[in-house]
Amino acid sequence: MAIHIKNLIKKYKNTIVLDHLDLTIKEGSIFGLLGPNGAGKTTLVSILNFLVSKDFGEVQILGYDSDKNEKEIKARSSLVPQSYAFYPTLSAFENLEFFGALYGLTGKVLHTKIDHCLALTSLEKYREARAETFSGGLKRRLNIAIGLLNSPQILYLDEPTVGIDPQSRSYILSVIKNINQIEGTTIVYTSHYMEEIEYLCDDIAILDQGKIVFHETKETINAHSNIAKIHLSDTSTQEVNLQSNYDALVDTFCDIKQKSLHVKEIELPKNNLENIFMSITKKELRD
Amino acid sequence: MFYYILKKEFLLIIRNLHALIVLFVMPTVFIIIMTLALQNTYANKYDVKLSVLLSSETPSLALESFVQTLNSNTFFTFTFTQTTPVVEEALYHQKYDFVLTLSNDFTEKLGKSRDVSMALFSRSDISYQQVAFLKQFLSAKLSEMVIGNLLKMQGIKTQNALNFEEIISNTYVLKDKNTTTVTSVQHSVPSWLIFSMFFILIPISNTFINEKNFGTIDKIRSINVSLSTMMMGKFIPYFVMNQLQVFGMILVGMYLIPLLGGDSLVINGSIFLLMLVSFVVSIAAISFALTIATLSNSSEMATILGGTSNIILAAIGGIMVPKVVMPKFMQDVSEISPMSWALDCFLDIIVKGGSFGDIQFNVMKLLLFALLFFTLACLMLNYRRN
Repeated sequence: MAIHIKNLIKKYKNTIVLDHLDLTIKEGSIFGLLGPNGAGKTTLVSILNFLVSKDFGEVQILGYDSDKNEKEIKARSSLVPQSYAFYPTLSAFENLEFFGALYGLTGKVLHTKIDHCLALTSLEKYREARAETFSGGLKRRLNIAIGLLNSPQILYLDEPTVGIDPQSRSYILSVIKNINQIEGTTIVYTSHYMEEIEYLCDDIAILDQGKIVFHETKETINAHSNIAKIHLSDTSTQEVNLQSNYDALVDTFCDIKQKSLHVKEIELPKNNLENIFMSITKKELRD
Repeated sequence: MFYYILKKEFLLIIRNLHALIVLFVMPTVFIIIMTLALQNTYANKYDVKLSVLLSSETPSLALESFVQTLNSNTFFTFTFTQTTPVVEEALYHQKYDFVLTLSNDFTEKLGKSRDVSMALFSRSDISYQQVAFLKQFLSAKLSEMVIGNLLKMQGIKTQNALNFEEIISNTYVLKDKNTTTVTSVQHSVPSWLIFSMFFILIPISNTFINEKNFGTIDKIRSINVSLSTMMMGKFIPYFVMNQLQVFGMILVGMYLIPLLGGDSLVINGSIFLLMLVSFVVSIAAISFALTIATLSNSSEMATILGGTSNIILAAIGGIMVPKVVMPKFMQDVSEISPMSWALDCFLDIIVKGGSFGDIQFNVMKLLLFALLFFTLACLMLNYRRN
């Protein structure tokens, strides 16, 4: 297991932000964490990155107890915060050099690693340009490149596509997928964008009011998301699984026709992630 | 790792144009302006004399000679008129600083009759000290004339015998070196240097607040970097910048000010002691800046909080107005300002050629100030980390 959390509690004054939270994230997976505003996503990621202390509970990361092995865990994980965590007046290279040095890299190793991270995020030609001159997409890529400097086993990405154009977003998602597939890095990805999570993640959880209220693999969600219901004139209902292709639907219609029945209503699959999210977290506006 | 932390911090400073202007251009401009403006205060003559319109309706040779005597000084210019002037016209339209009206047959009756008087009228912006100085000057010259006349009647030669001012000499004394006179540049350079050294809080707080606002500090905290490494990584570059300020401002005092007509900066004391003081002042200024930066949540807040406190500390610390011209009460108040302790140290070395013994008490106070604020900054940072 990459991350194992048991009975985690975090309070801010009298407000319970994480409420007896249990969660397990598989090694090598892309884990998507969804949740409305104020659900506790950032607090959870902050606890996992030692930015905020927990009040109670056990957290094991890569087999290390977070209470005893902060140094070991920090060396093996990396955070890409939602904000641009770099210095605008430094170039991409200078930023990477500084953060690489903080990870203990020096000399040739540091420069090789910088080149590798620039290549992974396709920032080679912006190497010497100051970060303040970058577009939103380039800034996001630089943020990710910095996060990759220590070759982390776990990479936390906190809403890494906020405020960028669709092309940049698509590119960033493919970069993240590559990092997971090529480097074998476990990705913990928080976002408000359902379609991103659906596209990217193979393990999805919804956090609401400090609790994990939904946690399934993408396969399971998809399996439940592909059942179409056909209501017939004899009041019976036929279910068709649309997961692989639409042949089953054609076969069912042929069967209905042969029985001289009429279709009263077709209920198309509604169980996509957004529907699950909205049905679980309800529709009231969150702060 | 440390090399790259320092490199980053230096790059941030040298690419911050506003900070460089505050650190180097502002003190240079202040030193030039204040040195030239205060030149007369420290010199033994004024290049702008106070003007006096002297009127008497009864001119005489004796009066003419008296006016000539009055004009042989370096502080006042006397212009004689036979007509009685309209005082307001003379002061506010003809731009005289004083109008002095003598009673009839003034020189003839002086010393012989009680029926003599001098009416002095001063413009409202003339200081009490300047009025008192003119009255003393006139009094001395009148005494000189009366006694001179008496001695002449006794047949005693009076030439030069009554000019007591010439027999009183003044020498500024240093503890153990050659003698020099105090110049305005010796006050201006350390004053505005200290002021600008404390303004290191502008780049420090900008960097700190940007790190907080951009989330950079969270990224750094998620890496295995100790608080002490990060604090030292901030401390050393700004310490070096402070030392560059000291070096630069001393060069301004030595070489630029003379080109502009001022006196060249002369350092009467030990260079090593000067370095020691500049190190201590820098440590105090950076510690103070780190606390302000940790306290502030925005650049605006840091600029208001830090800038205002710096200006107040400078105003009461004798930076803007030399402590010697302050009343006793304000001189006592100035003792609470670290800028005053720093200024005393610099003046002890630059002007008085003092030894370590002369500055040790103020050095100690500055170090305690630094320790207090550095501890405060670390505690607040640590509190926020946890």
